[in-house]
Amino acid sequence: MRFKTVLFHTHFRELALNSLRTIMELKTAGLKSIVLTHIIPRDDVSFVPYGGYLKETEIQMKTEAQIRFEDWQKILTEHGIQSRIRIEVGAPNAEILSIAEEETVDLIVIGRKKRTLLERVYVGSHIMDILRRSKVPVLMSKYMVQFEWEGEQLTRTNEHVFERPMLATDWSQPSKNALMGMSALKGIAKTILVVHVIDAKLTKGMSKDSIDRLEKESKQRLENYCRQIGQFGIETEYHLSAGKTVPELIRLSRDHKASMIVMGKTGKDWFEQYWLGGVSHQVAELSELPVLVIS
Amino acid sequence: MNFPNRMAIFLFCVVVLLCPTLFPAISPAAETVQNGHTSDLQHSTANGHSADTSGHGHANLGEILPLWSCIPFACMLLSIALMPLLLPSFWHHHFGKVSGFWAAMLGIPFLWAFTGDALYEILHIVLADYVPFIILLWSLYTISGGVLLRGSLRGTPLVNTTMLIIGAVLASWMGTTGAAMLLIRPFLRANNYRKNRTFMVVFFIFLVANIGGSLTPLGDPPLFLGYLHGVTFFWTFKIFPHMLMVVVLLLIIYFFLDTFFYRKEDVSVPEEEAKEALKIEGTYNFLLLGGVVGSVLMSGMVEFGDVNTLGVHRAIQDWLRDGLLILLGIASLVATPIQLREDNEFTWFPIIEVAYLFIGIFITMIPCLLILKAGAQGDLAFLINMVKKPFHYFWITGMLSSFLDNAPTYLTFFNTALGSFYSGLTEAQAVPLLMTENAVYLKAISAGAVFFGACSYIGNAPNFMVRSIAEEAGTPMPSFFGYILKYALVFLIPTFVIVTFIFF
Repeated sequence: MRFKTVLFHTHFRELALNSLRTIMELKTAGLKSIVLTHIIPRDDVSFVPYGGYLKETEIQMKTEAQIRFEDWQKILTEHGIQSRIRIEVGAPNAEILSIAEEETVDLIVIGRKKRTLLERVYVGSHIMDILRRSKVPVLMSKYMVQFEWEGEQLTRTNEHVFERPMLATDWSQPSKNALMGMSALKGIAKTILVVHVIDAKLTKGMSKDSIDRLEKESKQRLENYCRQIGQFGIETEYHLSAGKTVPELIRLSRDHKASMIVMGKTGKDWFEQYWLGGVSHQVAELSELPVLVIS
Repeated sequence: MNFPNRMAIFLFCVVVLLCPTLFPAISPAAETVQNGHTSDLQHSTANGHSADTSGHGHANLGEILPLWSCIPFACMLLSIALMPLLLPSFWHHHFGKVSGFWAAMLGIPFLWAFTGDALYEILHIVLADYVPFIILLWSLYTISGGVLLRGSLRGTPLVNTTMLIIGAVLASWMGTTGAAMLLIRPFLRANNYRKNRTFMVVFFIFLVANIGGSLTPLGDPPLFLGYLHGVTFFWTFKIFPHMLMVVVLLLIIYFFLDTFFYRKEDVSVPEEEAKEALKIEGTYNFLLLGGVVGSVLMSGMVEFGDVNTLGVHRAIQDWLRDGLLILLGIASLVATPIQLREDNEFTWFPIIEVAYLFIGIFITMIPCLLILKAGAQGDLAFLINMVKKPFHYFWITGMLSSFLDNAPTYLTFFNTALGSFYSGLTEAQAVPLLMTENAVYLKAISAGAVFFGACSYIGNAPNFMVRSIAEEAGTPMPSFFGYILKYALVFLIPTFVIVTFIFF
């Protein structure tokens, strides 16, 4: 697997260009082309109550996006990366997925948008929807994020996100897919952390012997994962933990200074994901690190 | 602080400052009403409002309310009429605040002056009219948004006319909004190779987004409001001859126009255009639409008693209907794949708009409705005295429906008729009499509200949705006045004159 063509979607929020610069680092791992994508939500220009369609606004928004993208294209060209511009009006998720298919991209990069609780309940998660439906890996980019840690409000800038990715595995087929996807980071990742959390629900009521066996078996599997990644020519280290999966994964990522979290796409169905949220989606929502979900 | 927030605070301050000054003259009267007639909400509901349609107990509020208490209603409707034209971008982003402002302009002084009675009237119109109205629109919009017509059609005059007929038939059963949303995109796709498409979309608005919806209370919002106020479900079939005449006349005109342009254009379908067989997806949603019809019918046929909700008595079967409609909408959401809705370019925005705007409309129209209900004793007696003949009702309801939304206009003249013929009777007593003894007046009001909704972009909600979709798809649409001058005055008004001579 190689991330040769990347779809980079932006709302032109603050630091969007910095976020693009982090993606440009994939050039050393084989990146050839970036599809610069901006979707104007249909509701921003359409269905003016008892009016019509804001054609002039659409043209203005498209022109502004085009000018900004053309400026970015200069930077991309300087770095030897080809680019195309796609500016469309429509439903953002559907348009992003449709363009990804048309352009046969290898990776979709989307930024996180803060949403109110009402939006989350009513609209569902915009990111989660793309994570669920995309046929190609999706990177949830978070260039600068504010987060809470031990009661303190912290700000983190995520640069060089591909240097020290943390692969979280639950031994499932999606995790194996994610493992194979790590080959795409050859040439850019310095060390890949492989982690597994023995879920608290699993060990509840287990005897000491059984837990020891589980721990031993988990370590063997982690070593096996590391060996396979080693074949890609990337250094690895593994860490085993136990407890509640999502908080533990976030703690591991902080303790071991991961630059990004990589996970396999959950196999849960729409209903489960919408109401309960898969581990990958919860981590994507809660972690201050970029999250790469591999199908 | 950004502009909208500052604006909201400013508007709030204006309302608070105006509050003691807006209703000073009637405050003593308000006290009289409270002391002498209906002092507290609980008492009044126990005695005067055994059902939401009883209408007495607070009737004399309409006798003391001044005409200028209708100003917020007029301003609300004028905002809808003018702001999309004059400040489209501001209106698009702040219409909810505008609606809230006018609702507050009426609501706060009204509550200050009439306390319990005003609270009752507000709760009554929200629970008995607004909530079921929005629930019905939401369920029809949600369910019809799950039906997708795929495939490529060739937009010949015959095919286009057939599509308009199908749309007009469907409109009465899935709502004008539902039918218009189902067919407008296939209609535009079918004609994307044609040079003159504007008139096609205009006739689509005439027939599918308006006139086709005149047969049942599901078809067009005004008729559903009539149903909520006691007009029986199948009574609206009485305007079938009127509808048939208008539809046939317009279709004949359309067919000749389309044939003329088709020959003149001398175009053919591009060879490279992929031919996709016609296919309807999400057909199970038609079953759910059947459920909507059944639920609405049920609420008019059974009697389960009533229940007191926040002091307002509502029939249990009405709550049951609303609950069923919500369940049917949810069933459609769960059953219909997201992909299908996306291919339908389904969005919640239009229905959210309607919900925001209509809360403003319903609250601000309270004084207007009360005054009209008071008949000759109210400040709108001159209007009631002026509107006497059926054709007066047809044309005045119609003309106002052209420029104001047709739902509140219908309700206004529905109440005018009740006040005119049956002043002093409760709504529950008066409506059956209006449907039988003076049916021609109700026909005139119903036909006027539905038919004339097609006369401008602001006459009925689906009009602007169709316009928006057509413009997005690259079909040039006439301006607000262009639509009226080039199309409504030329094709609709002469047709309505014929209807007047024959039926009214």
